[in-house]
Amino acid sequence: MDLWPVTIMRRTALLISCLVIHLGASDAAQAQRSAPPPVRSDQHVEAGGQPPPAGTLRNPFQGDQQAAEDGGKLFSAFNCDGCHAGGAAGAVGPSLADGRWRYGGTDGEIYHSIFYGRPRGMPAWGGTLPPEAIWRLVSYLKSIEPAKDTSATVTW
Amino acid sequence: MFRPQRWAVLVAALSAGWNGRGAAQTGSGPGRDDGQWTMPAKDFASTRYSALAQLTTGNAQRLRPVWSFSTGVLGGHEGQPLVVNHTMYVVTPYPNVVYAFDLTKEGYPLKWKYRPNVNSAAIGIACCDVVNRGAFYADGRIYYNLLDGHTVALDAASGREIWKTKVADLNIGETTPMAPLVVKDRVIVGNSGGEFGVRGWVKGLDAETGKIIWTGYNVGPDADLLVKPGSFRSFRASGTQLSLNSWPKEAWKLGGAPVWGWLSYDPKLDLVYYGTGNPAPYNAEQRPGDNRWATSVMARDPDDGSLRWAYQFTPADNWDYDATQEMILTDLPVKGKVRQTLVHFDKNGFVYTFDRGTGELLAADAYVPVNWARGVDLRTGRPEVDSTKLTGVSRGTVKDICPTLEGGKNQQPAAFSPVTRLFYVPTNNMCMDYTTANVSYIAGTPYIGAAIPYKPGAGGHLGAFIAFDVTKGKKIWEVKEPYPVWSGALATRGGLAFYGTLDGWFKAVDGRTGAVLYKFKVGSGVVGNPISFLGPDGKQYVAVYAGIGGDWLLLSGDVRSDDPTDVRPPASFMPDIARHTSQGGIVWIFGL
Repeated sequence: MDLWPVTIMRRTALLISCLVIHLGASDAAQAQRSAPPPVRSDQHVEAGGQPPPAGTLRNPFQGDQQAAEDGGKLFSAFNCDGCHAGGAAGAVGPSLADGRWRYGGTDGEIYHSIFYGRPRGMPAWGGTLPPEAIWRLVSYLKSIEPAKDTSATVTW
Repeated sequence: MFRPQRWAVLVAALSAGWNGRGAAQTGSGPGRDDGQWTMPAKDFASTRYSALAQLTTGNAQRLRPVWSFSTGVLGGHEGQPLVVNHTMYVVTPYPNVVYAFDLTKEGYPLKWKYRPNVNSAAIGIACCDVVNRGAFYADGRIYYNLLDGHTVALDAASGREIWKTKVADLNIGETTPMAPLVVKDRVIVGNSGGEFGVRGWVKGLDAETGKIIWTGYNVGPDADLLVKPGSFRSFRASGTQLSLNSWPKEAWKLGGAPVWGWLSYDPKLDLVYYGTGNPAPYNAEQRPGDNRWATSVMARDPDDGSLRWAYQFTPADNWDYDATQEMILTDLPVKGKVRQTLVHFDKNGFVYTFDRGTGELLAADAYVPVNWARGVDLRTGRPEVDSTKLTGVSRGTVKDICPTLEGGKNQQPAAFSPVTRLFYVPTNNMCMDYTTANVSYIAGTPYIGAAIPYKPGAGGHLGAFIAFDVTKGKKIWEVKEPYPVWSGALATRGGLAFYGTLDGWFKAVDGRTGAVLYKFKVGSGVVGNPISFLGPDGKQYVAVYAGIGGDWLLLSGDVRSDDPTDVRPPASFMPDIARHTSQGGIVWIFGL
């Protein structure tokens, strides 16, 4: 787990235009770990079926409005809007604008969802997008204000 | 999988009843019906007409639900059940479970169910919900497609898997929601992915083994299209490489033209007919040219796949007007002479009549309000396009185009009654604003580049169920519906037409007047297609799926019920559909 921030820091030099990256030597080290990170016993129900918690990842663009705007452009340029719709309101892919998250809504968890993909059709972008592009996408998604229509109660 | 030499046996079996194993293969004509429903559209001609006549305009008021079954699946239940040898076969949307119900026993208990291991990644590759359009029965086997690009053959008696063949590749955006067509020794299937920049094809598999015998692409070089010298004609275009030369450089390689709709077959001409989908991407300025044979009808020889004729409905498609809707094969009078016709209600709002032997266009009339073209020039075969409705990045937002990219109709198949000589057509009544953007191709992701909001068409209702006289080019009656009519139609010899609505009604109407004789709220919006059959008790029944979905999972806003983390605002053009329906697949059977 602790290897990931190191890996990402090493890659921050990559430009967004350099899209194809390959997993480096540090990933081999990761693969050689004998056991995955532990799951806290008081959270073992909520953690069911989820990959290892990603809470230790830090978004280098936290609170950076320009990064969020850039992320909005990437959201369209990489066809994310083709599935999640403009404004991430949801189409064939789920809404990412309702303030609710199937795989967790911390910056690190959203990063994981984009990097590794998710089993019901979300592709893994870790081999295509450099980390800072993914972080910009995370920043964009976190910057969306949920519409009031997505509140728990609907009345007619 | 019927073989010509078996014809005599099949005819004998039919006249003696329908217990024989292969007896289910011939479909029916007017006045003759074996009481079964063995293929998606009842017969090879895709009429969706049942010659059963116990249910009539006189007794339809007494219809009632006699059985129902929850499929346990929430995706859009397009397609239809089959009934063969007193067994009902149901295919669910992803995860594509097949249920076989024993209609001879009380409560119709399961005989078997088949639970394939379908790759869940397919959920994100299917453009428009995880639908399946049904199975095909032939020679003791059930053939159907899994969403993740596999075609499967099952033993109809036991559910045992006989073969499973990978035909499509998720990694390049291909999925397989369509229903196969089985003729002679061939199982014919096609790919979806017009929104993912796939290159459309149909494949002919050996029905016995599942081996892929031929692949015919819809776009690209003649050789890939299986255009064989001397065997292909386009009624008005001449020359070679008609597809290749209608695309810039290599754009055809990502050119779309998928096959996600219905296939028909004429045993006399030995030709299979199907329509192709939109060219990719939506932004037409990235693919200048006619983009043949996207948005086209194709006629192929089922044995070797060779292309015999083709016609393009919407050259250089600017509006996502797929032409994958059914090709209905009937013989209609044209200018006083009965022709062997093919009738097609296209997404672009026109209904076309062809000579299905030669591909000659005989008539084309609007069946819904159309403004992107003034008409179709029968001399040139081309639409008379209103240039102010052309789209593309340089044109910005083009407003008020009718119909929308959902089409005058979409996948929902029409029915034809040889008794009333009318086509029963589920339609949409919406217009759209069209904005495109340049889009980059990334394998396995959407290749679209467009934002296209909808609005209600004239009158404010979003759909209608209509009866259309193709020989007169005229609508005879309509039942206006508040929402798009996304279910297929069924016509019966008893003078009835059946359909379902997006807000969850199943309706029986008088085929001559459109008067609603019976309706029942089936629990979820209907996007499937009604069928009719004879039960073991000798009585006529009608069956249909409930289960809203398909495009309406994407478009209608908050009808999702399976995911607490996916809450969407309602669509502006249909703000209250969620008041009437949520998701949920149910099989219904109605009878007297």
